[in-house]
Amino acid sequence: MTNTNPQQLPGLSQRRRLLDRATRHVVGAGGVAVICAIALIMGYLIWVIVPMLAPSSIKHIGTYSQRVDQTLYVATDDTFETTTLIRSDGVVEFRDTENFEVIQESRVADGSIVSVKPIFPSSDSYAALVDDQKLVFFRVAHVVRFIGDERSIENSATTLFEDSTIELTDVTQYDVFRSDTTLRVALLHNDGSLVVHEYTDVDDYFELEEPRQLALPPWNRSVEDTEIILGPRGRWLYEIDTSNGAYRLLNIASIRRAGDIHEGLLASEDDQFISATPVLGRYSFLIGYQSGDLEHWSLTPSEDGTILRRIREFKYRESIAKVVTEHRRKGFLAIETDGLAHLGYTTSHRTLATIDLEQLPKVIEFSPRADRLIAVRENSIDVYKVVNKHPEISWSTLWGKVGYEGYEEPVHSWQSSSADTDFEPKFSLTPLLFGTIKAAFYAMLVATPLAIMGAIYTAVFMSPGMRKLIKPGIEIMAAMPTVILGFLAGLWLAPIVETHLTSILLLIIVLPFGVLICAFLTTFLPRVVSARFDGWYAALSVPILVVLAYLTLSNDAWLSNLIFGMDAKLWFYEKAGIDYDQRNALVIGIAMGLAVIPTIFSISEDAIYGVPQHLVHGSLALGATRWQTLVRVVLLTASPGIFSAVMIGLGRAVGETMIVLMATGNTPIMDINIFQGMRTFAANIAVEMPESEVGSTHFRILFLTAFVLFALTFLFNTVAEVVRQRLRSRYGNL
Amino acid sequence: METSEKLPQDIGAFHRHRVGIGSWFKSGDPWIWLTATAVGACIVAVLGLLGLIAFKGLAHFWPADVVTIDYESEFGQFRVAGEIVQREFIGRDQYMEASSSASQIEGDQAERWMLKSGNRKIDAPDFRWVYRHEIVQQVKDRDMIVFERSEWGNAYGTLVDIKEQGRSVAPDNPWGELQDRIERVSDLRDQSRRIQKGSINRINYRLEKLRLEKRNRELKGIVDHSDLENEREQLNAEYGVEERRLREITNQLDRDEIEIQIADGRVSTIPMRNVIRAWQPNEMSLWSKLGHYFSSIWIFLSQESREANTEGGVFPALFGTVLMVLLMSVLVTPFGVIAALYLREYAKQGPFVQLIRIAVNNLAGVPSIVYGVFGLGFFVYLVGGSIDDLFFKAAQPAPTFGTPGLMWASLTLALLTVPVVIVSTEEGLTRIPSELREGSLALGATKAETMFKIILPMASPSILTGIILAIARAAGEVAPLMLVGVVKLAPTLPIDGNFPFLHLDRKFMHLGFHIYDLGFQSPNVDAARPLVFATAFLLVLIIVALNLTAITLRNRLEARYRGAML
Repeated sequence: MTNTNPQQLPGLSQRRRLLDRATRHVVGAGGVAVICAIALIMGYLIWVIVPMLAPSSIKHIGTYSQRVDQTLYVATDDTFETTTLIRSDGVVEFRDTENFEVIQESRVADGSIVSVKPIFPSSDSYAALVDDQKLVFFRVAHVVRFIGDERSIENSATTLFEDSTIELTDVTQYDVFRSDTTLRVALLHNDGSLVVHEYTDVDDYFELEEPRQLALPPWNRSVEDTEIILGPRGRWLYEIDTSNGAYRLLNIASIRRAGDIHEGLLASEDDQFISATPVLGRYSFLIGYQSGDLEHWSLTPSEDGTILRRIREFKYRESIAKVVTEHRRKGFLAIETDGLAHLGYTTSHRTLATIDLEQLPKVIEFSPRADRLIAVRENSIDVYKVVNKHPEISWSTLWGKVGYEGYEEPVHSWQSSSADTDFEPKFSLTPLLFGTIKAAFYAMLVATPLAIMGAIYTAVFMSPGMRKLIKPGIEIMAAMPTVILGFLAGLWLAPIVETHLTSILLLIIVLPFGVLICAFLTTFLPRVVSARFDGWYAALSVPILVVLAYLTLSNDAWLSNLIFGMDAKLWFYEKAGIDYDQRNALVIGIAMGLAVIPTIFSISEDAIYGVPQHLVHGSLALGATRWQTLVRVVLLTASPGIFSAVMIGLGRAVGETMIVLMATGNTPIMDINIFQGMRTFAANIAVEMPESEVGSTHFRILFLTAFVLFALTFLFNTVAEVVRQRLRSRYGNL
Repeated sequence: METSEKLPQDIGAFHRHRVGIGSWFKSGDPWIWLTATAVGACIVAVLGLLGLIAFKGLAHFWPADVVTIDYESEFGQFRVAGEIVQREFIGRDQYMEASSSASQIEGDQAERWMLKSGNRKIDAPDFRWVYRHEIVQQVKDRDMIVFERSEWGNAYGTLVDIKEQGRSVAPDNPWGELQDRIERVSDLRDQSRRIQKGSINRINYRLEKLRLEKRNRELKGIVDHSDLENEREQLNAEYGVEERRLREITNQLDRDEIEIQIADGRVSTIPMRNVIRAWQPNEMSLWSKLGHYFSSIWIFLSQESREANTEGGVFPALFGTVLMVLLMSVLVTPFGVIAALYLREYAKQGPFVQLIRIAVNNLAGVPSIVYGVFGLGFFVYLVGGSIDDLFFKAAQPAPTFGTPGLMWASLTLALLTVPVVIVSTEEGLTRIPSELREGSLALGATKAETMFKIILPMASPSILTGIILAIARAAGEVAPLMLVGVVKLAPTLPIDGNFPFLHLDRKFMHLGFHIYDLGFQSPNVDAARPLVFATAFLLVLIIVALNLTAITLRNRLEARYRGAML
């Protein structure tokens, strides 16, 4: 602050000089450290968010010449240390991932395997059709063992169900579903008959018992072209004619009786159907066409029962020859006939990366974590590295309407997690933003008029003695823990509002008019008495308010009959179709309004109180009334300060967590209705953050919402601060 | 500054000589009344809120009379005993929903009482509504005893018999005998707790340390563990001794049983070990009720909670709150003050410092949950995870610091409150007239000496104000703590007798979170509600007291500078 430099003074002892310099450095370092820490908050939030925007890539990392021409299916373990190849001669091969040398072989079938399919929805069990006459089931396991600190992987392929097989005759197509204890096998025979077998009480180490059978009505199609696929939870059966894209959807929820059957077509007139590949969970399919279109069709309820409906399409150049899907997400790789492959994601409708595979591989699969692609050709294995951490996210999935699996139309939805592993996360921030704005809006609706009017009276008209009490009193409310307000709102206020809805709504009219009437009555009092009231209006209004509120609330039933003729909730429901939720925006408005009032009150009171006296005196001297002076001089001068108060209040309302968390149902709905709840950004973070997996897309999106909150409040506060500083200098000039 | 009255009063009065609605409105007086109403509404809200919390929170401890009520409803005739905890009127519609015999009620409303009838596990439910018009008779039985049990809440009934090892004692003075035996059980319980929390806890802690030490050596490649094995065996032997002592006490605890008769005439047996206190509210004088009241408050403040936090005290939560806040202020004070000194005294004043000042100001308005997110991501996962990798390899995969805990909670809250301290300190520094600095420097003092001897002492009240405001804010914050270290039930306090005594990695309990958890996650909301109010009252009391201190300090500070400037 001063230019004096004590170091230059003569006679300064060594110790004092050292101390002075040390202090300078410590304070400097400490100050900079604190400022850096503050900058770190913003930096760290961005640091977590940025990987979401990182581009995806797919890269060829190696070709390994091996004899693999017998391969029917390829899989890898979770950590990409072992590759499993299922061969047509009935042997399962385990190979390392360094050079793809065989490290172990296990025989699972004593004949040649015609075809093999993973047992839906597992990723480690398979069903193989052997010699066209039996089905064999086996499981592939990779167990990590530690001997001392030595890590080793024990690979095994073991048959399930005590070597039980299912003897078949004339079967061309099959599919297998397994839940914990139930096994369902769908079989399509050469003569076109379609049968579902259900084995109950299934256990890995016991033989299969006699199945129950369900014969389904035959379909008039060529059996050679038909493909059958069991759907979600084994309750649906898709039958697809691959020659033209016609499909049949059979409801087989009950094994005793076939349910509804729906027939439809997966192709348009001028486009040739190529293939249908189920996406994780099998609620939807990716349909490849001759023209290079790839369409996403989903199981959707409709007026004619459940059907398959197109929800989005991807456009590529050439005919789509093959589609492979990820094991844990709704991603896919679509390969054109010439080998050009596109990495895409269904929900976000994104094509993330493209690579030329040069030719169509015989077998190609994703690794379980979708970080590798492994392609088996006649005499070589190709490995591709896939970097694709957050494909679920795009600008339009975050803010726009998205067609999700099972939804009739595109919607805004926030539903981040579920117990099911095949769940499609819904990450639309719009309902949360809507909830945040809704909560803040109702809170400001309550707080702004009360706080500003209160500030006006306190700063301008209130007697000094009372002001000394009122101002700190209301300011203490700013420190009131919001958890207390939230708990009172949720457990005490919400039930009262529910049972006294009419009178609560009436209070808005009754209280101001009641006080006005009483005030008018005071004008009839002798002047000696009424002149003493000046400056004490607020105190006088308190008993009036209490009595009026008590009278209104205690006569709720009568009032509600008088106005609505019935219970108010019932009236709203019947007449306006408005549903009443106990923890709703009205309760939030009142509770959060109370939390915001002190902030707005305190800052605007300061602004009004700081208006220079001579302006007021000038106005009054010119004959203006008190009210005229207030509105035309005082408020006009203080208006920037009041504006900044409102901005800071808004910032607080937007970020408030506990009140919203406790006083709403926290359902992320988009309903402007005051009698419904909402979910805000802040409450959403509080609810979901502790359960979120570190580094996952969900985790990063929560950080994104935190950053949005940070940026929003920072913006509001900066605007307010700048306005306030200008005002301060203006007061100085006046 | 005494002329707070901006607009002279007589102007309004001037217009009042002709009373009429029109001229009254013209004078603007109604609008002034409206603004006054807004203030009035705020006052009503503030006082109402504080009053409600205080009343409900304090009423919880009063030993309410136990009424025995006979009532006749559509299902038959019943007799229940309990405390009336709530009286309310409900509309006819609501009554119709709850009951089918709507014909009996007169008028539009029915009065109903909520009765806390307790006796969980003996007689369900423990809270019930009784309609006033269905009541046949209500009496206050002087022999009615309230038993506070360590499990299943209160029991209400009359004493039938006391049994020692299954044999009736048949005492001359049953009430005195009961109290004596409760005291005996309570002593035994204390002993048992001392063993569990003391020696057994210590042995377990050392055993865990040994396990980690062994793992540490394995990681280093040392194979000889014989010394550790010896120590472990010794500890196991000690454990055996303590466990035998504990079993002995448990046997003694199980000696007595009491038989009580509940309101509907059934006789039930309560093991004496479950009885914490017993009192006869209908028999008590005002003075003994007062005594009971204060001892209840003391129990609330000093004991641990029971029954998923719905019974007992809040001591661990109070302790956790205070400890966390103390740690936070130890962290926030030096940094806040140094940053303010830097900004005001050392940094070159200019647009950059002005920008930082605005940023610091704004940070005070950033939602607390954002700090929680930052704390979880940065402190817990990044810093904590790295600390675990570097220093706590032996404990892995169980995290030590890589999980929410006391240290991260304090750090997060320190970051949250540092703007408060900076702003307040800076305000104090600005008020110090620069003549004082210049005077000091002119007399030959160095800048550091000026700072330590002149500036800091003069600014100390505002620094203190800042710290108190920071503490008040931290004590009431819940949202960030939910992410960085608070739990509903911590098995051990963060401070105990095991080295290093203060365990920064432990999770802790907090009054604010206690309220949230009790009010919204509790399985028995009716039983929890009075305790939530009591906890809320305690928290409000702490925060209001802190704020009042800050305000008083600020006023004193103002007075002081008025003196300094003269």
